[in-house]
Amino acid sequence: MLLLPLMLCVQQTASAQVQTVSGTVVSTRDGSVLEGATVQIKGSTTGTQTDSKGNFSINASKGATIVVSFLGFTGKEYKVGDKISGITIGLVPSDNSLEEVVVALDLKRKPRELGYSTQKVLGSEIQETQRENFINGLQGRVAGLTINPTGGTAGASSSIVLRGFNSLSLSNEPLFVVDGIIMDNSTVNETSGGGSGLGLASDRPNRNNDYTNRISDINPNDIESITVLKGPEATALYGSQASSGAMLITTKKAKSNKLAVQYDDAFRVQQLTRYPDVFEGYQNGENGANANVFRYYGEPYPAGTKLIDNKKYFFKTGFSQTHNIGADFGVKKSVFRVSGSYFNQEGVVPNNNFKRINLRISNTTKIGKYIEITPSLAYVRSENDKVLRSAGGYMLGLFAYPNTYDIRKYQDDAGNKIPVFASNPNLELDNPLFNVNANPSRDETDRYTASLGININPTDWLTITGRFGYDTYRTEGYTLYHPKSFYITQALNGEQDNYWRKYNGYNHTITATAKKDFGKWSTRLMVGTMWQDYNTQMFAIVGNNLKDVTHFDSSNTAPNTRRRLLQNNLGAWNEQVTRQMAGFGEVSVGYNNLVFLNYSHRFEAASTLPKVNRNYNYPGASLSVIITDIFPELKRGTTLNYWKLRTSAASTARLNSPYSTQSVFVDNFASGGGFSYGFVNNNPNLEPEKQQTFEVGTELKLFNNILNFDATYYNTLNKGQIVEGFRLSYATGFVLNTQNAGSTRNQGFEVSADANIFNNTDFGWNVRVNFNKMWNEVVQLPANVAEYYLGDTWLYGNARGGITLHGTTTSITSYGYLRNDAGKILINPLNGLPAIDAVFRVRGDRNPDYTIGTTNTFRYKNWRLSFLWDLKVGGDVFNANKMYLTGIGKSDLTIDRYTPRVVEGILNDGKQNTANPTVNTIAVIPAYLDAYYGANGMPEEAFIEKDVNWLRLRDVSFSYQFPTTFVKKIKGVKSLGAFLTANDLILITNYTGGDPSSNGNTAAGRGVGAWGFDYGSLPTPISINFGIRASF
Amino acid sequence: MRNIKNIARCLLALGIISISSCAKKIDEAFINPNAGVKKPIETLLPGIIGNMVGSSAAAGSAYGTANDGIYIGRYVQFWATNVTGNQYDQMGGATGALDILGSVWAMHYFGMGQNLNRIIEWGTEEKKWDYVGVAHAIKAWSWLTLTNVYGEVILTEAFNTSQLTFKYNDQADVYDTVRSVCRTALSFLNQTGDGVDAQNLAKGDAYFYNGDVNKWKKFVYSVMARSFNQLSNKTTYNADSVLFYCNLAINVNSDNAYARFANTGITGTSNYFGPFRGNVGALRQAQYPVNLLTGLNSRFPGVVDPRAPYLLRQNTNGTYRGIVPNKGASGLVAADRPENYWGQGFDTVTSPTSDAKARYIFRNAAYYPIITAAEIQFMKAEAYYRKGEKPQALTAYQAGIGIAFDMLTADFNANIPPAQAITPTSKAAYLGNPVIVPSAANLKLSHIMLQKYLALYGYGSIEVWNDMRRFHYTDQEGAEQVFTDFTPPAGTDLFINNNNKLVYRARPRYNSEYLYNIAELDRLGALALDYNTKEQWFTQK
Repeated sequence: MLLLPLMLCVQQTASAQVQTVSGTVVSTRDGSVLEGATVQIKGSTTGTQTDSKGNFSINASKGATIVVSFLGFTGKEYKVGDKISGITIGLVPSDNSLEEVVVALDLKRKPRELGYSTQKVLGSEIQETQRENFINGLQGRVAGLTINPTGGTAGASSSIVLRGFNSLSLSNEPLFVVDGIIMDNSTVNETSGGGSGLGLASDRPNRNNDYTNRISDINPNDIESITVLKGPEATALYGSQASSGAMLITTKKAKSNKLAVQYDDAFRVQQLTRYPDVFEGYQNGENGANANVFRYYGEPYPAGTKLIDNKKYFFKTGFSQTHNIGADFGVKKSVFRVSGSYFNQEGVVPNNNFKRINLRISNTTKIGKYIEITPSLAYVRSENDKVLRSAGGYMLGLFAYPNTYDIRKYQDDAGNKIPVFASNPNLELDNPLFNVNANPSRDETDRYTASLGININPTDWLTITGRFGYDTYRTEGYTLYHPKSFYITQALNGEQDNYWRKYNGYNHTITATAKKDFGKWSTRLMVGTMWQDYNTQMFAIVGNNLKDVTHFDSSNTAPNTRRRLLQNNLGAWNEQVTRQMAGFGEVSVGYNNLVFLNYSHRFEAASTLPKVNRNYNYPGASLSVIITDIFPELKRGTTLNYWKLRTSAASTARLNSPYSTQSVFVDNFASGGGFSYGFVNNNPNLEPEKQQTFEVGTELKLFNNILNFDATYYNTLNKGQIVEGFRLSYATGFVLNTQNAGSTRNQGFEVSADANIFNNTDFGWNVRVNFNKMWNEVVQLPANVAEYYLGDTWLYGNARGGITLHGTTTSITSYGYLRNDAGKILINPLNGLPAIDAVFRVRGDRNPDYTIGTTNTFRYKNWRLSFLWDLKVGGDVFNANKMYLTGIGKSDLTIDRYTPRVVEGILNDGKQNTANPTVNTIAVIPAYLDAYYGANGMPEEAFIEKDVNWLRLRDVSFSYQFPTTFVKKIKGVKSLGAFLTANDLILITNYTGGDPSSNGNTAAGRGVGAWGFDYGSLPTPISINFGIRASF
Repeated sequence: MRNIKNIARCLLALGIISISSCAKKIDEAFINPNAGVKKPIETLLPGIIGNMVGSSAAAGSAYGTANDGIYIGRYVQFWATNVTGNQYDQMGGATGALDILGSVWAMHYFGMGQNLNRIIEWGTEEKKWDYVGVAHAIKAWSWLTLTNVYGEVILTEAFNTSQLTFKYNDQADVYDTVRSVCRTALSFLNQTGDGVDAQNLAKGDAYFYNGDVNKWKKFVYSVMARSFNQLSNKTTYNADSVLFYCNLAINVNSDNAYARFANTGITGTSNYFGPFRGNVGALRQAQYPVNLLTGLNSRFPGVVDPRAPYLLRQNTNGTYRGIVPNKGASGLVAADRPENYWGQGFDTVTSPTSDAKARYIFRNAAYYPIITAAEIQFMKAEAYYRKGEKPQALTAYQAGIGIAFDMLTADFNANIPPAQAITPTSKAAYLGNPVIVPSAANLKLSHIMLQKYLALYGYGSIEVWNDMRRFHYTDQEGAEQVFTDFTPPAGTDLFINNNNKLVYRARPRYNSEYLYNIAELDRLGALALDYNTKEQWFTQK
């Protein structure tokens, strides 16, 4: 956009017949349109640039030659023939990798210089998926990137992990940097540490409700591209906050000062098609006898009993609409882009809606000769009507409700809950419709982001840049539990949580870069400073004895029942402040454009650490060698065009949570009130976690640049981990402890390949493949800590995200079958049921063997088809839904309950480890002994499904660009296209539940969290989108 | 060139200023602005007092003696559950990954632990010697209670915040510590001047002794007395020590150590056994105390105790019946089955919305006795008895019964139907009955222990358990069982893991020790499934 003066000459050449020639410029790599390509008539000054859809139109006479050029691509000539519209000109990416990529800190670096891998995803690809949370559009598109959505509800949070989990109890989420400004991506954490932190006053684990992860406030349509920094280079540039990588988002900027307007819309229908198998064959009862309980071990339904499919009465067709508008305009050297977006979704679950409005204005102004400023201002409002999930959610109610009972009859005329059996509605599970209607929950967020970029280029060798960003939002929300809800004790008469949360973040980065070449040597020196100041405030209150179930402000609760966060008691708010100062430098030396060495060092001071450990620093280094240029003979022939080797090593630091250095007092509710110590023995001597990463990689371009290949191996050792909340003897005086206690090693292998299999003017086929394999190990834990787990992950039964020394960081620990020394299952001699090993042992690992994301893009004239397959092989999932269904007699495991059987195993009679153990011969008929199906017959181990694979068609998009000849007939319209996109259309899996991609915690959960725990979450619905795109 | 130098100087100066101001801002953000790292000691004491019964804090509730008392009360047959097959009715210990019987452990190490340490530390800095004394007093009580329940415990290495594992000490060391902490407590409670201020102390102990340091001293002497009395099986036992401290201890009901409750509708402000907290819905009175109070025990045959309406519940027939542990309804017909402690039907386990029918320590606002004057009198009686001074023993015994009666009429009269209330006449008649108060020559240990059992009914589970364990449940004095007619579960009624042995201790809290302190547990034999039957040092000869 620095090339402001557009060549919009209307000057005509004198000769021959002049006509308007129009077409589209695309990249042959993936068929994406190229915006801003220069289109010129050879031998003249007549020229233009392609618009945001890659379209151009130029006056040329027949026989003239059009020259198309674009940075990073080999130019192409096109001779004007008879065809004057709908011309597609494909540009081949240039083989010498001159294409400059914006890597970070707004420094444009040539890919050949980089000693580490980066991957870039274009905004257009993300927009094409039509996913409102753009994070969800990234799965499969970047090697080593994993998205774990909470579920399929509207407004659900998604957690994102690059290169696996390193930290056991801190966040593993990458840093989000938008145009050089760090933006907050937190999710409301419901755990307030006894009111001493930020969370709800009811201080709950992060699993029964959900809160959108805040980076999804970004309008997907404003994204120009996302560069993913997976390794330590992210920390070298962005500091310890980026220990888990960084996602650098570049927003769209105005391309010219000429007025251009784009509009697109999309309408989406969503349908829930995946649902755990629920078996309906027996009446309410226990041990074969009918009884008024929410279990189905009674007699078979009498013939002719009419069974109701209640989920049809529950789920509905979701509908959403999106309208995006964008306009570029400008005055002389100042160009503006304004964009707006409206998104409104009604989910497939009743009362689950999500609405978002985005507005953004950005500007680029050139002042004088040397200075350019890029201010921007964005506003977003989102409203999310939510439903409860997991334990206490509608899904379990739907599982458990009798199928002879129409769930639509959930309340009487007076609005009271109608119970099924009990006279007291508090004593039975919530009818799912009652649950979603009577236990409402809602969040509203207003967010403002302002940023300012300044670039000063006083000489050709010096660049000074500044990025200043201010990001603030306020969320207000509530959760109400109806007085008649099962989940609230009758005596409490309902419960209501209210909160507001306010975030203020300021950060700036100022760098100065000097470049100088000395003969064959090129050098670059960068020095910079960064300041970060983040402040989150929260006010939360919970109370009981509700006055009115249709009012949601906190006055609804009885004053004597109210509990608040600690500072709220004093009328103030709780807050969390993190401040960090950094100074950093980077020296790069290149020799003859063949070898590049880079060294960086960063000094930081962070407010979360005690003074003695507050100042720390870490180095990083990388090396890149272009083999094919050192040994040009390798390039003979067309096979090998480019071969680069690279390596990097760096150490980084990860910060503790604010205030984890101080043991604090929390409220005591005893008579007389006051305070007592919280659970946590905080540690005044904490040091930052030290993470060391080593990476080697190679890049190849083969067969005339048709195939690009990039492979990376990395090895990360995270030493002296700040393990928060680990248990020891209470003899410390506390329950949970904080220490630099553990170490983990995380390794992986990533390959991405890109092939332009066909590429000519009318037809193109591009395939991109991302392969990822990771493995990890807990290499150090205190010897007496047999298992470490995060309480949030203990969702159901006795299974949780526990880890053990020398196990994996992604393991599942649970109860299981008791076995003898030979590994045979032991049987209780009293009843013939398996004996249970009531110890949390590692019985599963969620880490997949590997994943492959494959994107195919086909282009035929004006038609375009792209689809993304996401393959996951291996990795275990705890199917808690199935365990629940089995326990209540509704899973298909219970169909043959009347078949007598002998559980295969050895009697636990004292002889189990002798040479002649007693083989079990005790026959049971489970129908009469339904404990067979309970946790004492089928422990959690039985429901950890091993090696769960999936193949998903994540996104498929089919679009058509109307020919220019057609579009021209519509006044004012420059281009017009239509598309049809489907999300999550196909799921092929060996998983027996609804959807194996499930996370039992929200994105606020830390450490490894509860992905791979499937309990009461909504499987991903299928979405079909239809819309148009137009520019004016 | 000079310009450039000047600019450089300015930049440098600006840089230094900004770095130092940034460093200041970073420093400011270090301290937790939400929760204090320091709180006035006056605000730490109420929670500690609440903890003696059952904590209620943002960091955990139900730690305290009441929660474990629910189980220990089953060992001593105060009550039982109305179902069969419950391991605690069968004298079983906690099994599996459960924290049952770990509430005293959590109370001592977590609930009180560092909070008490801070009162001592900051109270010393502020010269508030009364607070320092009270903290030591509670500490002494807590160490003794802890070791009574668990035997060997972590003593010398306790409260080291940077240690990963912790050594256990012998019980004898804990008894020594209890006495030394008591002496420290007394020396502080005896101090005046500086920051000592009864009104200020009352801010912290409003729901205990309301600032009365003298009562706190009596509390300390009572703990001392207990510590000597409990060692009756030891050769070092000295009855005079017991008597010495008993005489200085709580001797009148108005000095009783009660945890009191504001009962404001917030869980923690109400009594752990009341319906609002809903913790005793599954318990039904056992046959043993019923027989003692209704003349069916062979020690007190034919005497109906006027205290029965206070301590027991009737059935729909209007009579008093109790259940036998592990026997469910124990063969009682429906109309004979006792109400639960909140005055609801035998089968009802959920809380009523009001405590209008609840009595004694089962009301929301009821006092929860920690140590009472009656207990002291029975200790005294036992000590005199062991010294062979039977007339003095009888006097103390008689006083103990009288004080126990008075405690009920004074402090636990709520919801007693007037017709059933204790009257001076009924009290006098009871005390005048030679079956209850025999001649000095006919006084037996059994009288003392059984009347102590009744005086401590419901609240004194740990102390009664101490007594029963001292007499190994069924020890005899001559040919007579001290705990007359007490039948511990046997055969299949005794929990299978017990290996036919009776319960003598609780295992340490599971989530504290059994996951993180295994090596020490192994050394103590605490990994054995019958560790709960291992006799403690204090009851051994």
